[in-house]
Amino acid sequence: MADQHPPQTPVQAQRAQEAAGRYTRAGLWLQVILLVLLALEPWLVSSFRVMDVAAKVMIFAVLVASYDLLLGYTGIFSLAHAMFFGLGAYSLALIIHHAGAPLWYHLPLAALLATGLAVLVSLVVAFFSLRLKALFFVVMTLALAQFADILSIQWHSLTRGEDGVSFKLPGLLDVGWSGGKLWGLTVNGRLLTYYIVLAAAALLFVGLVRFVRSPAGRVLKSIRDNEQRATALGYKTFNYQILANVFGAVVASLCGVLYALWVRFVGPESVMSTAIMLNILLMLIIGGMGTLYGSIVGAAFILVAESWLADGLRAVKVFLPDLMVLQRLADRWILYFGVLFVLVVIFFPKGLVGSAREIAARRRARVRE
Amino acid sequence: MNSTAQSAAASTQSAADLKRWAGWVVGVGIWLLPLLWINLTTYLVLTVAGVTMGMLLFLTASGFTIILGLMDVINLAHGAFFAWGAYTGFTVLGALNKLGWVETGTLGQSLVSVLICLLLALAVGWVLGVLLEWLVIRRTYGSHLKQILITMGAALVMAEVIAILWGPNDEVVLTPAAFTGSLDLWDVVIEKFRLLAILVGGAVFLAMHYVLQRTKLGIIVRGGVENREMVQALGHNIRRIFTYVFAAGAALAAMGGTMWSIYTREIRPDMGESNLIFALIVVVIGGMGSVTGCFLASLMVGLAFNYVAYSVPTLALGVNIMIMAVILLLRPSGLMGRS
Repeated sequence: MADQHPPQTPVQAQRAQEAAGRYTRAGLWLQVILLVLLALEPWLVSSFRVMDVAAKVMIFAVLVASYDLLLGYTGIFSLAHAMFFGLGAYSLALIIHHAGAPLWYHLPLAALLATGLAVLVSLVVAFFSLRLKALFFVVMTLALAQFADILSIQWHSLTRGEDGVSFKLPGLLDVGWSGGKLWGLTVNGRLLTYYIVLAAAALLFVGLVRFVRSPAGRVLKSIRDNEQRATALGYKTFNYQILANVFGAVVASLCGVLYALWVRFVGPESVMSTAIMLNILLMLIIGGMGTLYGSIVGAAFILVAESWLADGLRAVKVFLPDLMVLQRLADRWILYFGVLFVLVVIFFPKGLVGSAREIAARRRARVRE
Repeated sequence: MNSTAQSAAASTQSAADLKRWAGWVVGVGIWLLPLLWINLTTYLVLTVAGVTMGMLLFLTASGFTIILGLMDVINLAHGAFFAWGAYTGFTVLGALNKLGWVETGTLGQSLVSVLICLLLALAVGWVLGVLLEWLVIRRTYGSHLKQILITMGAALVMAEVIAILWGPNDEVVLTPAAFTGSLDLWDVVIEKFRLLAILVGGAVFLAMHYVLQRTKLGIIVRGGVENREMVQALGHNIRRIFTYVFAAGAALAAMGGTMWSIYTREIRPDMGESNLIFALIVVVIGGMGSVTGCFLASLMVGLAFNYVAYSVPTLALGVNIMIMAVILLLRPSGLMGRS
């Protein structure tokens, strides 16, 4: 039958090929296994710390993927992504904090507020500086992010400044709530929150993947590769860039809401600071730009390293308490991330997933020959 | 026909003149606006503070703008040189204080100690600049994305190394005795160190202007900003010039850091980050690659910051972002930039 209706265009041919290999791709099975592992994690390992890292990896993976949409797929270099994350986190924290008692409708309200703020701010940023040279956009977003950081520290009556806001979640999500045991595991607020985070993160990630693979996503890639050509083909590139910018910002702010939901504490240092932005960049670079799935690898790598490297270095400090410089070397583990970052950019610019894909593509080409 | 064309040309000429005059009047007049809600004495104090801040910003931003203009390198590690300069000054002042030159000393000793600080900061900045250019920046020519990423990483590493060598906490910087306290001119209180800072900043601006306009090196650098290939074709080793210019920019930033640390009396390892933002805003407002534009923009940013910081402290950085946005809307290439 297939011979009677040969594919007409190269794009159709490619799609047909993709559709034929849909269920035999390694990627799909990796995704399914990852999802199942994450869903069963509370039963597999009974350690809160592992669960904490798993939840954060999910949140950051989506956050980094949304940044990848900007940098890797559209070629927009924004340094304000952490700011949108912070906006989302603060919307949930401040609504509950200022309302007094946590109620159910606060959660959708926070998501709504976060979305609205992200759309508004990203539109303003886009209109002011997206048309200009890349450098101006970098400077504008960097300055804006710094401004937001300062505002979150100094606007004490709203944000409680550097102390941050810790808050309680409503009803079933509250830490105090417990609903008995299920297959040997206590069902409590933490567990429910974990599944909310898992579901939301999976949904957002799928949304990002669909967006990148959509016709609009193809236009974004063409803008990244050659903006003039995309314009010449008749696409209003500016509108597409705005679309990517807004979409990325909204996903980032929703990630912020999820983060606040999971951690139940929001402060300038933990959601707004440049350190978060650097972390996002590091995760993206290590995972690989323009791959989307690289964000999962990058986030997992950094967060796991952060969690256990700090322990290892603390051990160094205990064993060698005399050397002051060595003590500080052990304290400043961010230094190693910085060095790693520079080395990866120089020697390994495609990142883990990017390089893996390159190797796989090369092998496939050799097989075809 | 001819006369109409001439009169049309004349009218566009006069319209352009009018526009330029209006630009100047608005440009100067806007700085008198704060007088509406600040009294004159306070205004003058703030103006001196603003000019001081502007001069200090110029030291950092001018290096950035030349590096960007000549080498087309976006160097986000520029703030880290600034911090290294600050810590150099802090160490030198601490050492000289043991000789009794800093907190208790004559005017001459104070001057000499500041001079030693500045010279050593220049040296440290130069060495670090050459190192960074050799090790890292060289590999990123032509790719802004890589430059931004790599220099952000380098900035992080340099700030962390400071935290390892000097400790992660805030430190207090000593001010040489002769520059503590302030002068009182008709109720306008001016800190003595501000005068020194304005002198140093002005001197650096004039020196840079001289080097760029009157020396052979200046001609090569300006030519490189205009057309890099042509300078290369004329037989100049542009790579070596790049290294020197990068190192000179780093040295200037380090010097700015030293002056800044004595001025604000406190330092911390990540101090370069906030200063970098100011430098970037200045560079964007002034126009990339223009030293004069950078000078004017530094003054604008310094003044605006001080006026607003006095009236609405939380918005101080915000107003500079707004100035930047407005300038970008009106003149996308900055005050003095080439379009």
